[in-house]
Amino acid sequence: MIRKLYMDFSTPEKNGKKIGLFRTCCAIFGGLLLAFLAMTTLSFISPGTLGDKVVVPLLFNTFAYAIAAFWIIVAPSKLSALLRTIVPSIFFAVIILLFSKVL
Amino acid sequence: MAIDKKTKLNLFKQRIQSVHVSAGITFSLFMYICLFFGIFAILLPYIKVWEKPSRHFAPIEITKINYSAMIDPVISAPDFPKNNIIVRLPGFMNEPALSISHQFTKAIFFNPSSMERIDDEGKQSRLALFLNHMHYGRPLGFLGKVFFGLISVGVLFLIIGGLIQVYLIKYGNKGKTKQRFFSKWHRKIFTWVFAPFILITLTGALMNVGLIGASPMAGILTNGKTTDIQAVVGPTLFPQPKAVPSLKEKAKMLPISQLIKKAQSIDSDINFQELRLINWNDKSAQIELKGYNPYMPFLNGIFNKPSIILSAVDASLIKHVDVMDRTWSMYVAESTFFLHFLFGVDIFTRLFITLLMLASTFAVGFAVSLYLEKKAKKFDGKIPFYHWMGKLSLAVIIGVIPATGLIFNLQWLLPFDMQDRVFWQQAIFFNFWLATLTWSFYRIESFKAAKEFLILGAVLFMFAPIVHFINSGFTPISLFVGQMKGILNVDISLFIFGLILLFVGLKLPKTREESKLIWNKKEERINSEK
Repeated sequence: MIRKLYMDFSTPEKNGKKIGLFRTCCAIFGGLLLAFLAMTTLSFISPGTLGDKVVVPLLFNTFAYAIAAFWIIVAPSKLSALLRTIVPSIFFAVIILLFSKVL
Repeated sequence: MAIDKKTKLNLFKQRIQSVHVSAGITFSLFMYICLFFGIFAILLPYIKVWEKPSRHFAPIEITKINYSAMIDPVISAPDFPKNNIIVRLPGFMNEPALSISHQFTKAIFFNPSSMERIDDEGKQSRLALFLNHMHYGRPLGFLGKVFFGLISVGVLFLIIGGLIQVYLIKYGNKGKTKQRFFSKWHRKIFTWVFAPFILITLTGALMNVGLIGASPMAGILTNGKTTDIQAVVGPTLFPQPKAVPSLKEKAKMLPISQLIKKAQSIDSDINFQELRLINWNDKSAQIELKGYNPYMPFLNGIFNKPSIILSAVDASLIKHVDVMDRTWSMYVAESTFFLHFLFGVDIFTRLFITLLMLASTFAVGFAVSLYLEKKAKKFDGKIPFYHWMGKLSLAVIIGVIPATGLIFNLQWLLPFDMQDRVFWQQAIFFNFWLATLTWSFYRIESFKAAKEFLILGAVLFMFAPIVHFINSGFTPISLFVGQMKGILNVDISLFIFGLILLFVGLKLPKTREESKLIWNKKEERINSEK
């Protein structure tokens, strides 16, 4: 069954006209998470004082959200939509953890 | 199963198109509301003066004002603070009055030419403010604000998708069918205006959801010390001045108009907007003059305000903060926000942005029409097209025009001392708008309803200046002679807007069938030319 589900997820749909709930959810929530983590990472690596660091990520976090959501929703298969959500999110989350010295 | 590149690209194209259509039709009407009321918000400074009887006087040059005659009596009151008094100079955002205020007191307004106190209407007159609130969902409270913020994120999403579509897909601009026309102009207008449009939408999204949503970011960056993002950016974007210790010795102050002249001689590029009086009537007294340098747009005006600090005792220069004296992040914020706020810019810039946004309202309208036209084609010739989205769009896009015309009339029809005046004005506005929705559902032929709305809107917009003339007691001639051209221009613009609506309303075909004939004729003409 898992194999069947995997096949269903990883096969690109023949028709691109239907978007589907799965992709929409990935785009709305995953896009938000991804954009937020990416922008927080950006604020860590920006130069300047704390205030300076935060201005650009703050200004562009909604734009990053839109870009991330768009990138996820046009993924060829459901699996790739899911991967586009999870993989970069984990990547940015790890960087944030390293920077904020929690680890 | 692997797929080749071409199928992949085709799938991608299909997907971006269908995402654009479904997201577009979801956000379109809200986006239209933002744009429609945004146009009034751009013209807010002019409407603000037009709506208030207390502001019907001629503006005056800031160096010709006798400031101490107004300021001294106010600050000599025993309970009025003596430090950090804010004086807003007349002329900023077209406001003809001078205001004296402090962080902990209510603003006091003066007519700078007669030096009399103005009885400000305050909460009894909020037309311009209400139109501005409609622009970002404020009447629905916090939820409305967040909702409109998410709409603007959606609009950013649509802009990205739309740009990729225009880049990837070859659209033909030939052919004169209705669908082609809508599609062509929707694309054309948005490819022209997308750059300023992105900046304006981006800052709108930031103000409505960005700031609220960034609190986890603030928490992570400060290691949990604060979750308030404004506490993090505040010191950078709004640097607080250091307190000046008072010497506790009385001294005579130089006249403020002389200090303004001195500041103008130091930096003649700045249009001064605001004064801050520090330790007034003390030997350590200073005056800070803040303003806007119109020769450096996108670099100053919103957060970055060039300023000059002078000693109020001997007019010596203490500090001069130039436009270019800030850190890089200030300029990033400044240039992104500049087009949205337009503080201190002249009327021509405002009108230019108004034109861009007006074009965008049409582009949104064309997109909705294109969607509906495609839907209607399925039923063509069999039954009359009657779709809930069509009726809703009709009420939102066209129905809002007479409702707005009505609110302009009510501003001068309702007496200013009426109880709950603003509530009645807004309630009538919303009910009227709702009535247009029921009316558009009632009329089977949408064209007929649109015609009626446009003509009604035309009549209301043409009536608004007349009601204003009658109830304010000012005629166009007395406004012109009395140097109140700003107010007269609002009247004239309202009337001209009404005339345009009347023209469009009369020209609009009565039925869908008739409208088709126009397009068929165009098509025939093109074919015969070939």
